[in-house]
Amino acid sequence: MALKDFRPMMERCSNCLGCKWIPFDKIQSQRFGENCPINLYYEFHIYSARGKFQAAQGLLDGEYGYTDALLASTQACTACGACDIACKVCRYNLEPLDFNIALKADAVEKGNILPVQKEMIASLKKEQTMIIGAKKANRSAWAKGLKLKDAMKEGAEVIFFPGCKYSYDKKLQGYARTAAELLINAGVDLGYMGEADMCCASRAYQQGLMADFDARSEANIKAFKKAGVKTIVTPCSDCYYAFKRLYAAKGLEVEVLHVVEYIDKLISEKKLKLKKPVNMTVTYHDPCHLGRLGEPYVAWNGTEKKIMNQVHTWEPRRPRYNGAYGIYDAPRRVLAAIPGLTLVEMERIREYALCCGAGAACEQTYPEVSKFTANERVTEANSTGAEALVTACPWCESNFASAVDENGKKIEVIDIIDLVSRAL
Amino acid sequence: MALSPEVYKAFEDVVGARNISQDPAVLECYRCYAAQSSAHYGPFDHKTPMPGAVIMPGSTEEVQGIIRLCNKYKIPFKAATTFWAAMGYIGDENAIQLDMRRMKKIEINERDQYAVVEPYAIGAVVQVEAMKRGFNLNMAGVGCSSSTLAGTAGWVAFGPSSLFMGTASENMLAAEWVLPNGEILHTGSLGAGSGWFCGEGPGPSTRAILRGKQGTTGAFGVCTRVAVRLHPWPGPAVIPTYGTIPAYRAKLPETIKTVTVCYPSWDAYAEGANLLHQSDIVYLGHRQFNMFGRDIKTAMIKILNDPDLQLCDLPEIMADPYIKEQNEKMKIEVSLVIVGMTQRDFDYKMKALDEIIRRVGAWKSEFMLEKPIHDWTLLYLLRLGHKNLNYTLCGSYEGNFGMSPNVFVTAPLMESAAKLKDDYAKKYPYIADTGGDSDMGSLAILGGGGVTGWEFFTCFDRFDKASIKGACDMVNISQKWMDDHKLGVDMGHWNANARREDGFNYTQEQHNEMLSKLPQPWVCGYQYLVKKAFNPYDLGGSYYRTCDPASFAKK
Ligand SMILES: Cc1cc2nc3c(=O)[nH]c(=O)nc-3n(C[C@H](O)[C@H](O)[C@H](O)COP(=O)(O)OP(=O)(O)OC[C@H]3O[C@@H](n4cnc5c(N)ncnc54)[C@H](O)[C@@H]3O)c2cc1C
Ligand code: SF4
Ligand code: SF4
Repeated sequence: MALKDFRPMMERCSNCLGCKWIPFDKIQSQRFGENCPINLYYEFHIYSARGKFQAAQGLLDGEYGYTDALLASTQACTACGACDIACKVCRYNLEPLDFNIALKADAVEKGNILPVQKEMIASLKKEQTMIIGAKKANRSAWAKGLKLKDAMKEGAEVIFFPGCKYSYDKKLQGYARTAAELLINAGVDLGYMGEADMCCASRAYQQGLMADFDARSEANIKAFKKAGVKTIVTPCSDCYYAFKRLYAAKGLEVEVLHVVEYIDKLISEKKLKLKKPVNMTVTYHDPCHLGRLGEPYVAWNGTEKKIMNQVHTWEPRRPRYNGAYGIYDAPRRVLAAIPGLTLVEMERIREYALCCGAGAACEQTYPEVSKFTANERVTEANSTGAEALVTACPWCESNFASAVDENGKKIEVIDIIDLVSRAL
Repeated sequence: MALSPEVYKAFEDVVGARNISQDPAVLECYRCYAAQSSAHYGPFDHKTPMPGAVIMPGSTEEVQGIIRLCNKYKIPFKAATTFWAAMGYIGDENAIQLDMRRMKKIEINERDQYAVVEPYAIGAVVQVEAMKRGFNLNMAGVGCSSSTLAGTAGWVAFGPSSLFMGTASENMLAAEWVLPNGEILHTGSLGAGSGWFCGEGPGPSTRAILRGKQGTTGAFGVCTRVAVRLHPWPGPAVIPTYGTIPAYRAKLPETIKTVTVCYPSWDAYAEGANLLHQSDIVYLGHRQFNMFGRDIKTAMIKILNDPDLQLCDLPEIMADPYIKEQNEKMKIEVSLVIVGMTQRDFDYKMKALDEIIRRVGAWKSEFMLEKPIHDWTLLYLLRLGHKNLNYTLCGSYEGNFGMSPNVFVTAPLMESAAKLKDDYAKKYPYIADTGGDSDMGSLAILGGGGVTGWEFFTCFDRFDKASIKGACDMVNISQKWMDDHKLGVDMGHWNANARREDGFNYTQEQHNEMLSKLPQPWVCGYQYLVKKAFNPYDLGGSYYRTCDPASFAKK
């Protein structure tokens, strides 16, 4: 949908400011009640879904162009969707996240591209990754020595898709290997995309770089089809969201599983037993793209229909992504299966978890906002008394790694795959 | 026209570059669409004027610095915090909007049972912090996303709990106030250096000037801190919740319960309300779900309790015989929360409630007692965290037939009001047709009861010009009906003498012309003299209604 198509939503937003808070029913303290990274950081009203709904009207009416603040509000937005689910506690006819992304796309279309975004695009085109400086030639380093089928040569029904971060980050490469080995050892006939393994471009979409997203995703879909892929398993929450929601909207019909779901499945089928105690108290961070944004795609092509004179509905019924069916329980079941491990929850969890600050490549485009958000989350994690912060997304992991709480204290950050491997 | 660079720099020096903006897109966000969250100014198809700058002060000293500069440069200003209503927005071209978002501290005094709050402590967070210490607060009907201070210092702020806890004017204790001329005033006990426990004294009692019944709606300086009374909460420190979004539910002890009482007639309702007022058993009382419209309320509750249902499911759900039957039984109803301070207290209150129900021939809605719906309703009413549902059907609504006299006066009129609205919605497609009776309101809008507060919801689509026009028609129809029944000014017209239809402030001359005709013009004459003393350059805007005594004294 183009920006102008959101006009009815812009005008029907009620200025209730719910999108600056976690759902009110869930607030437990003043300290951890707010939810929008950009609003927490910049504070002016424009830095919120509501503010953008209002500011975009002036933009469409030609009252101003992309001013500095409007641009910052658009670009620094982590596309985390916290506003979206808070809004949908009450509203049935607004889509704040889709709007945020349409605004990003409109800004890009009007030529507002940051220098660092240009570098990311160039890298995506040349090296098929948005990680600046990474080389295509090194992409499969993580898989060296693993007994993985090359799906493009041999065909494979189940493929392991590590994503850019696990492919290039030296520390994370080991976890990608561990995850793949877990599946192989459990008897899964596992493949990977070999030479055709490339960036999912989810982060291009999240930044409104639509042409780049379209080009990359269409190429990937073609490759998946050619390889006969039926199931994609990924340890990366961004990739998960891309395949489950964005690629599905483009016609990819495959089962998409996050590694943590697969591990959960193996544990429940008794194909994997976690025996070694890990005597630790941890807290779990729900990645936005696995949690509230990890709901399955439902096709829809409809229009608004008013009933009872003026009541807004959709015809046919429109899918309502409000985080109700995100992936929250699988990681918690996996943690519960680790002997000796204690999970203590933060206040902002599940569909109303606070973003880590890395969404939409914010750590590169607006590093100060991203760092502030990660620090805010680490403050919350440390307030639980946990010794470590566990997550299931490499972007969250790397953003938390250098973060400190409001007293300057860090927390150990653990990849859930690493934690599982400690219990093997 | 923006502020001159020199003036801008002077403000910037007070708050720092980060906390002031003249960016047009930032400013645009501080304009009120009068058809959107008008709170009874409109509905019109336009916005309030563009501010000259928006400033976010971080302390009382910064507020004082800003106001002193406003006096120096004769720039009008207005503070607002949570921006629910038109009254928070400036009314002059190039006036300064203060966004109080950075000031949000809460201090709770357990011994004396009050909380001192800064502006951006919204109701929800004051409540959660208070509950940790065994307290609760009167939450205005606008809901928990609204500023406690704004309601307390700026507006009426009554709500479902006002029967038990009183309204804002009853709960306001001492305050710290930066007057329109830049002086800091400590009211009540604070002025005598005795703490926050009392609004009247020892020390200056300025309640009548600074808040009165309705509040000064931001037109008389900036309140930076206020103490509000806290009330007992015997429940857990944090309300435990369960359920899938959007149907979050409370898991509370058996001594905290919600009951929806249904009446066979409005006469029975009035008698029941009177007994409930007298009996002192109700923690919170509200006719809540009828705001969707009498025909659809039960179906709406069903939708809101199921993550898989949507508004398009309304017709099918309404056709369900069970829902039909329950809806019919809930035609005239009020939802109560009964809170036992002890088990014995709870048993007594439930027994008294049963007796009232028996006396007036009422019954409890079994639908609302179904466990999941009960637990959802309980959380809804205690937290008031679903106020955006007011807008859910069409995106906008206006309040009509706003009645607040004694329940014996208003209850017999409800069906006549309902019929007027129903007739209009049946004849024209401009407003939602969900049942003529779409009344919502608190069981009492005064501590201890006596009067109830009622408001019919006219839901309309601000994106549709014909629909805005339809809502305006309803405002006029409703006002005529109010006049015919000698019920005074209706909600749609509440602020009509505070802000012009074009969104601007009235000039003093316009106010003189208009307010000198009031039956008691000296009220505004008195405020005129107060304004001259405290607000010499008239920088606050016309929500502080003033009338030069010279304009009526000679008549
Ligand atoms: C949907 C809806 C439902 C409502 N229901 C009710 C109801 O049931 N009961 C009721 O009493 N009211 C109701 N209202 C009105 C509402 O109570 C007030 O709007 C609210 O109490 C104040 O919150 P706000 O978000 O409007 O605050 P704001 O917009 O921040 O301010 C409200 C007023 O207070 C002034 N103000 C704010 N901060 C300061 C400050 N620091 N110093 C001095 N003045 C200040 C503002 O200028 C403005 O005039 C409703 C309004 C809406 C839109
Ligand atoms: S986007 Fe939704 S939550 Fe935010 S102000 Fe608008 S209606 Fe409220
Ligand atoms: S998507 Fe996230 S960062 Fe963007 S406006 Fe919504 S809550 Fe804020």
